[in-house]
Amino acid sequence: MRGFELVHPASLGEAIKLLDTDDPTVRPFSGGTALMLMMKAGVFQPSRLVDLGGIEPEHAAVEATGDGGLKLGAMATLAQVERSADVMRVAPVIPRAMKRLANVRVRNVARIGGNLAHGDPHMDLPPVLSSLGGEVAVTGPAGERRIAIESLFSGYYETVLSQGELIRQVILPPQRGWASAYMKCTTRSADDWPALGVAVSLKLTDGAVQDSRIMVSAATEKLTRLAAAEAALEGAQPGEAAFARAADAAATEAETIDDARGSAEYKTELLRVYVKRALAEAVRNGAVQ
Amino acid sequence: MNVMRPMPAGQVGRSVPRLEAREKVTGRADYVHNLVVPGMLYTKVFRSTVPHGRIVSIDTSAAEAVEGVYRVVTGEDIRKVVPEPYYGPAFHDQPVLALDKVRHVGEPVAVVLAEDPYVAAEAVQLITAEYEELEPVFDEVEAVTSRAVVHEVLKPAGTFPDLKHLVGRRDTNVALDYQLRRGDVDAAFAAADRVFEHEFRTQQTMHTPLEPMVSLAIPGHESLTIHTASQSPSFVRIEIARLLGWPENRVRVVVPHLGGGFGAKLYIKLEALVACLALLVRRPVKLSLTMEEQFYTISKHASTFRIRSSVKDGKITGRRCEVFWNGGAYADIGPRVTQKSGFTAPGPYDIDNVSIDSYALYTNRPPAGALRGFGIPQLVWAYESHTDLIARELEIDPVEFRRNNILREGREQATGTAMKDAAIEAVLEDIVARMDWSKPFDRGTGPLRRGRGIAIGFKASISPTTSVAIVNVYGDGSSSLYLSTVDMGQGSDTAMAQIVGETLGIETENVKVIHPDTDVTPYDMATLGSRSTFHMGNAVKLAAQHARDQLDALARSLGLPPGTNYGPKDLFKKKYGMQAGNIVGVGSYIPDYKSPDPATGLSDNVTPFWMIGGTGVEIEVDTETGHVRILRMVNAVDCGRPLNPKIVETQLSGAALMQLGFTLFENMEYDNGQVTNASFADYKIPGIHDLPARIENDIVEAEQKSGPYGAKGVGESATFGVSPAIANAIHDAVGVRLTEMPLTPEAVFRAIRAQKG
Repeated sequence: MRGFELVHPASLGEAIKLLDTDDPTVRPFSGGTALMLMMKAGVFQPSRLVDLGGIEPEHAAVEATGDGGLKLGAMATLAQVERSADVMRVAPVIPRAMKRLANVRVRNVARIGGNLAHGDPHMDLPPVLSSLGGEVAVTGPAGERRIAIESLFSGYYETVLSQGELIRQVILPPQRGWASAYMKCTTRSADDWPALGVAVSLKLTDGAVQDSRIMVSAATEKLTRLAAAEAALEGAQPGEAAFARAADAAATEAETIDDARGSAEYKTELLRVYVKRALAEAVRNGAVQ
Repeated sequence: MNVMRPMPAGQVGRSVPRLEAREKVTGRADYVHNLVVPGMLYTKVFRSTVPHGRIVSIDTSAAEAVEGVYRVVTGEDIRKVVPEPYYGPAFHDQPVLALDKVRHVGEPVAVVLAEDPYVAAEAVQLITAEYEELEPVFDEVEAVTSRAVVHEVLKPAGTFPDLKHLVGRRDTNVALDYQLRRGDVDAAFAAADRVFEHEFRTQQTMHTPLEPMVSLAIPGHESLTIHTASQSPSFVRIEIARLLGWPENRVRVVVPHLGGGFGAKLYIKLEALVACLALLVRRPVKLSLTMEEQFYTISKHASTFRIRSSVKDGKITGRRCEVFWNGGAYADIGPRVTQKSGFTAPGPYDIDNVSIDSYALYTNRPPAGALRGFGIPQLVWAYESHTDLIARELEIDPVEFRRNNILREGREQATGTAMKDAAIEAVLEDIVARMDWSKPFDRGTGPLRRGRGIAIGFKASISPTTSVAIVNVYGDGSSSLYLSTVDMGQGSDTAMAQIVGETLGIETENVKVIHPDTDVTPYDMATLGSRSTFHMGNAVKLAAQHARDQLDALARSLGLPPGTNYGPKDLFKKKYGMQAGNIVGVGSYIPDYKSPDPATGLSDNVTPFWMIGGTGVEIEVDTETGHVRILRMVNAVDCGRPLNPKIVETQLSGAALMQLGFTLFENMEYDNGQVTNASFADYKIPGIHDLPARIENDIVEAEQKSGPYGAKGVGESATFGVSPAIANAIHDAVGVRLTEMPLTPEAVFRAIRAQKG
């Protein structure tokens, strides 16, 4: 029987060295909630798993930055982020989204970094964190770089990370003045993978939309920023008419895909509805002070 | 009764907490999954990747070369143990491992045996097979006329007289053609004011017991012991003995707790395979399926139901039913579903002229069998959707239309059997009253539209079937109940112990229930079709009465006066001079039954009892997305007098929620015969957030006079009305009619769009 090697580096640097190989069957292991399913299904057979559980504890820290933003260590569990008072104050949309993200057992184990690095377009956090203008700090054999989360994904279960690179931290800019919302839609059971996820963030100045970020996931091959929808909102008075224009623009520009959760056609119609609803929800939620 | 303590009274009708609850929640309950015996080999199954094909060759050499592999076995090897290795409850059509042909994707073709289950799993991936692919057929209606033939010749089991005419029939996918003719349907149609015709379809779904199927066979000296998660230990013993040509007493079948069954674990599932393997290699052999493998083992019939009704002066005068059951590649119990449920296809209505044709079809899908309702939910889905459509067309209130046509006590059902102890009206009126049907209803605002719907259904208990029970009173007066009813979560241990307690005048909690072990516990047909409370309940009551009568006789023989204070313990001591002896009470029960006339399907005694169930729902439809939210669900049943009201209530909510999943989203999806969503990641069942906002479960006042203490079965009754009640409510809310399950948001959305043009 083919086994695999499980190694336990004590530092991030050591982990990166262990992952610095061209062999795609060498993979990092953090919470394991996604990887274990792939291994059980026989979709992925590792030769070596690099367990990140023993690296420096600072990589699991969740803290507010002096300027009103957030830093989330990649090894922080989803539950840790969900329960952080700093996160609740700076970005309340995150703990709200967590309530319907997987289940409490998964949230207690899954890590923020793994959640992003997995590249699964059905995840809830990529649209939420990217709508907040989030970036990831990535460390690899060639050093460190920053990537906007909206640019992290290159395709279905694909990211721009190279072999040996690890997400070290998620960095969120100050949210003051931004109003945000995340809505997802399931078409089978309530706890199904979403057929559609929509995350929106609006900056309202003097009663007009000064800036916005509108992200769609799950219904598209990868996380997608809806530029035309954002353009339709720019300078507009928030309200039904403007939101409907943005929704129509979103429905036109998004390339939705067919799967067991619904046809592409239907998901486009869902997107139209949910962009409207998410924008209204963001306004109701109000701007972060 | 005069020798027992009269206290405590009222074991029956008391919500006794389940006897096994503590054992289960503390993780002490026995399951076959946890059973390991010395020398045991684990099995992994190599399965067909094509839906229909001739086996050209199977290459097992690479798997055999893997270190740690004990042996690789194919269908031809099985013949060394059983020359004719075909099994099944209705047809002997299913090979232990595929021979000559494969008939569905996922059919077992070969197995790897190894001491390490991971070695077996790895080696099985190295087996290859070459097939000459044959044209497949997947749709039940196409299967009637398709060129593709799944079985060249029909092989009905000899045990059923009504299947004899099918012996040797060739080149057809129709495994059984059941018919019923009553009155003159054509004349009724000709004389009618209006005639209505609709077609309804249901999808294939799966039981998803959380404990997947598992069996372990241990060869002994001229004997075989099978530990198995089975709902039918007696059948397993009989069928394995038949395959091996052995007497029954050399096969022992032991069944501990089950982690759910719902009909998935009936008849033979893995038992024939582990039995043959154990005898082939002379070592204990265990096979534990994964959740995914269950989807290729058994499922619920997809169906198509064409229904046509004539109405005159608001009364249904004639009804023609054509039902096509998609049985998949092997008959399993499908032919019994076709017939035993088929005769209720016209619904619980008083209709003089009825014609039913019900067809069991072979297709190249995984086999379909019994699933909580035995075909009834598929039928009620159609006839109660149809009933609402007729009422709507005639502009009659759907409740009023049902009242005008309902099958009343004493009237003859389509078979000619008079309705008896069947509270159909009471169930309907209970739901109507609870829903305040006559009061104004909030129709919703904006994109959220509200509607409500009602549906009622009924089922005949499968007949004739036998149950035997033993009550053993020990020397100290304590007692045990020996029975082969399987408690798979439905609470039968508790209910049966209550019957013993009530009859002997002792506390339910003091009755020990001995789980099925065919060396120890007597025969029972199976735990299926809500039959245990009635059949086994009657046998248990007879056994307890028999024990009580013997205790009375013992008291008399010892010269004690009637009404003596001597308890059983004192009697034994007085008789034997010490704590010794037993009183063994035996009860055997089979109800009266008259087999239907093969030509007309008529019988004046077609079932020992009727199960009645209905559901009313209030729903909200999001017209922008098609999402349906159940605001309120009312389930009502006639289960006679409930033995344990709390357990009945959980049976009602469990059955209704299971059917809710089948109604709204559960669906086995296919790509050329391959199930593409065979896991809980992609085959979704209801979770806590899918529950109706409000759910009420009601037991109507009723009594089954022939049942034990007035009781009858209830495990399936709350499934009956759920699907059509929701479809009727969607129609009420947004004016669109869905005729195909599941009622997904996209289906609702598309129907709304189509209506708008």
